[in-house]
Amino acid sequence: MKRLMALATATVLALALGQTATAQTADELYAKAKEEGEVTWYVSQFSTGLAEDLGQIFSEKYPGISVNVIRATGQVIYARLAQDVRAGVAQADVFSGTDLGHLHELRDQKMLMEFTPPDADTVRAPFKDMQPGFWYATTANPTVMAYNTEQVSAEEAPKNWTDLTDPKWKGKVAVTHPGFSGGAGSWAVLMKKLYGEEFFTGLRDNDPYIGRSLIDPPTVIAAGERAVGIAVFSVAARNKIAGNPIEIIYPTDGSKLSLGGTAVLANAPHPNAAQLFVNFIIGKEASERMVENGMLPISSAVEPPSGVRSLEDIPTADLSEDELVKGVQPIIEEWRDTFGG
Amino acid sequence: MTDQASDYAAEAGQQPDGWLRRFRNLEPINLLWILLIAILCVLVIWPIGFLLKVSFEDPSTGAFTLQNYVEAYGRWRYLEALINSCLLGLCTAALCVVFAVPMAWAVSRTNMPAKWFAWASVLGAFILPPYLTSIGWILIAGPNSGWLNEGWQWLTGSETPLFNIYSFFGMVLMIALNAFPFIFLFTKAGLDMISTEMEEAAAILGSPTWYTSLKITLPLVWPSILGGIIIVFLESIALFGVPAILGIPARINVVTTQLFQFFGYPFRMEVAAAYSMPLLLITVSLIWVQRLLLNRKGFVTQTGKGGERRELDIGAWKWVLLAWCGFVGLLAMYLPGYTMVVASFSEAWGKGLNASNLTLQNYYDVLFVSKLTQEAIVNSFLFAGLAAFGALGLALCVAYIVTRNLIPFASVLAFLCMAPFVIPGIVLAIGFYAAYAPPPLGLYGTAAIIVVAFMARFLPISYGTAAAGMRSINPEMEEAVRVLGGGRFTAIRHVVAPLLKKTLFAGFLLVFIPATRELSAAIFLVGPNTRVMSVLIFDMTEEGRFEAVAAIGCIILVTTTFFVWLGFKLVGRDFMMRTPR
Repeated sequence: MKRLMALATATVLALALGQTATAQTADELYAKAKEEGEVTWYVSQFSTGLAEDLGQIFSEKYPGISVNVIRATGQVIYARLAQDVRAGVAQADVFSGTDLGHLHELRDQKMLMEFTPPDADTVRAPFKDMQPGFWYATTANPTVMAYNTEQVSAEEAPKNWTDLTDPKWKGKVAVTHPGFSGGAGSWAVLMKKLYGEEFFTGLRDNDPYIGRSLIDPPTVIAAGERAVGIAVFSVAARNKIAGNPIEIIYPTDGSKLSLGGTAVLANAPHPNAAQLFVNFIIGKEASERMVENGMLPISSAVEPPSGVRSLEDIPTADLSEDELVKGVQPIIEEWRDTFGG
Repeated sequence: MTDQASDYAAEAGQQPDGWLRRFRNLEPINLLWILLIAILCVLVIWPIGFLLKVSFEDPSTGAFTLQNYVEAYGRWRYLEALINSCLLGLCTAALCVVFAVPMAWAVSRTNMPAKWFAWASVLGAFILPPYLTSIGWILIAGPNSGWLNEGWQWLTGSETPLFNIYSFFGMVLMIALNAFPFIFLFTKAGLDMISTEMEEAAAILGSPTWYTSLKITLPLVWPSILGGIIIVFLESIALFGVPAILGIPARINVVTTQLFQFFGYPFRMEVAAAYSMPLLLITVSLIWVQRLLLNRKGFVTQTGKGGERRELDIGAWKWVLLAWCGFVGLLAMYLPGYTMVVASFSEAWGKGLNASNLTLQNYYDVLFVSKLTQEAIVNSFLFAGLAAFGALGLALCVAYIVTRNLIPFASVLAFLCMAPFVIPGIVLAIGFYAAYAPPPLGLYGTAAIIVVAFMARFLPISYGTAAAGMRSINPEMEEAVRVLGGGRFTAIRHVVAPLLKKTLFAGFLLVFIPATRELSAAIFLVGPNTRVMSVLIFDMTEEGRFEAVAAIGCIILVTTTFFVWLGFKLVGRDFMMRTPR
């Protein structure tokens, strides 16, 4: 029934959109994309393993198109793209970033293609809110906390963000460097807004392990290298589902909901394959694989993973898009000055 | 045009003009000289020239400016990174002395048994690149999960770890465990040159062995040790892998990681160029000092060993020294190597070694599933092979011209071949980026820019090998060919090349092996489709996937061991010792 509803609304909307004439069906796109033969995907939203898996599923669904996966953390992948632009080389077709500021900047520089994927309307609510035509939301991954259940009991575990600055966690905290990770960048902006400078100095005094990706802290927590820390929800959930000694903490002062968008570059060497690929990422097959990896599904045809809270039940403290876009670069500098690296 | 003109002149039976005649009589070797100069310009002069030029340029207008320098040195954090690098270099050199000098003394002057033991440690340190040693040690001495610290906390009930690898000392130890062979080789070479007569004189006068060694032997080899210290210092400050893997989590910034930041976002290549100048200047001047030191008094000569040498009987101490050699080898190679092998076969490295944790999945994923790793493995060997081939070819041509004195100013060529020796790999890479990545050449992200940069980086090694091989061949044999009417190229093909076989092979391997593992120069030059194993390992550490990282590390380990073995087999036992760096 639910599916039927979705289909019905999709049809109605597709009819409405049909008049804009820019929208193409997936089959039309595939016919053109096949001639292009490949698509290069700059991605920071997914781990290397998941990104490669998605590429492979795409190639199986659309034979004749191979996917080049270039995975790095949010800031690093954007630096790569900026280098491409400076060198006057067009290598990337699709860009999936974790720092919204990057997408805004790219759009302002007229470097993104405006398009509508055929299945744009079959996505779940939080994703639908972020489809400005230049990019489409492809992750809603809350930044939460996690602890190692062998080292820390549920009562002892931190409850909110400021608990991480408690001296009892000295040498036991893991965080992520905003200068590398896009998700950590927006998290740091939120912390600055909520608790100011002291949060960072307190964290520094606890001598934290500093990862380069939000994937790193939950991995070191699951391995027992650190006891508590920040974590990207999906990786913590995946570790928990796999039976590793890790538990998720939903901070009472609100987790940072990181929405990541996927865009097609205006000068993409394979524009049709790129649009087809974006359509695939927001589609059912990709969402199924994401759920297996602890991520929340994009497609409304797929249910969220079991055993973890669904997005509606996770308290989030959000920032306005403006605060985020303007806040990340200054916070990186501030972080480097405070933490000295 | 010239060909036509000279043909015409010959047909008409007239004498061509003076310069044309000269052109006709030009030996191919002279054309080759022009070609070689051109290649060396591309490899050495152009990138370094561009590095200087870019550092004084405004990125948007291209106008002259000092702003890049102001930006590069105008922040305390950036200066602190410089200080940290120098401290890192000094501490590493000091630790290397502690590791290596007793080993060298034991091997060269005492009756310590099983001297191959020390050599095995030195070889082990060569086989494992520093970033892999670090990864092995993270698994050993991660402050809370490494088995060393877990064992310590279990034994003593202590809350604090015994040794935290994510620390300044952790970085020092990791680099020292890879760099101590330099000091070992330098010190041993120095010790080998000293006659034992002076030590015996001291012994007759009643001086105990330890006193003699400290007061007489050590001062005599001090210049050699200092030469080694300088090399270790320079290696340490130019290294990227260890500071990136251990320094970033520990919040310690050094010059190389700071350069990496300038290459991040916002992208500031010009500032990076300006910021790399101290690294370049320090290297150039210290290498100069080192040459002065080693040339003084002829401490190390090629002519032979001076005086009589007898092994010192040091009694039971020989066992202590033997244990020390083993201990250093254990830390440098066997412990991290073993830990890495175990991790590569584990499902989760935290769970330790047991049957339920055993899996081949990591290797299967790396070799057969992941396109990324497959490409990176192929790229690594392909680029290293091409670079080794290119560097060797170039070095042989230059060495031939220089040793046979075929043209005036040949020594300029030799100088250019050796010049990259004083350019840190990471600085060279930035130079290559500045010169060739942007339009008009637009080599950004191509295989060509990496291969050419590797060629330049390892050219001094190739040249050293080629020149040594060339000198060992008497020119009379070629002259015989020439007298019998054979051309220069016939002589080279049928006389020189067969005689150089071993040199050629050694020269190839000496570049190929380090090039397959190079990280510092590769990190700035790889593009989306040209990633190599070392860079991939660095990228994968950010996700904490140590099992897969260990599997790739083991592949590097096995292939390196194989090629070193091949070198021993085909070239001889001394093949590694020719490495100048």
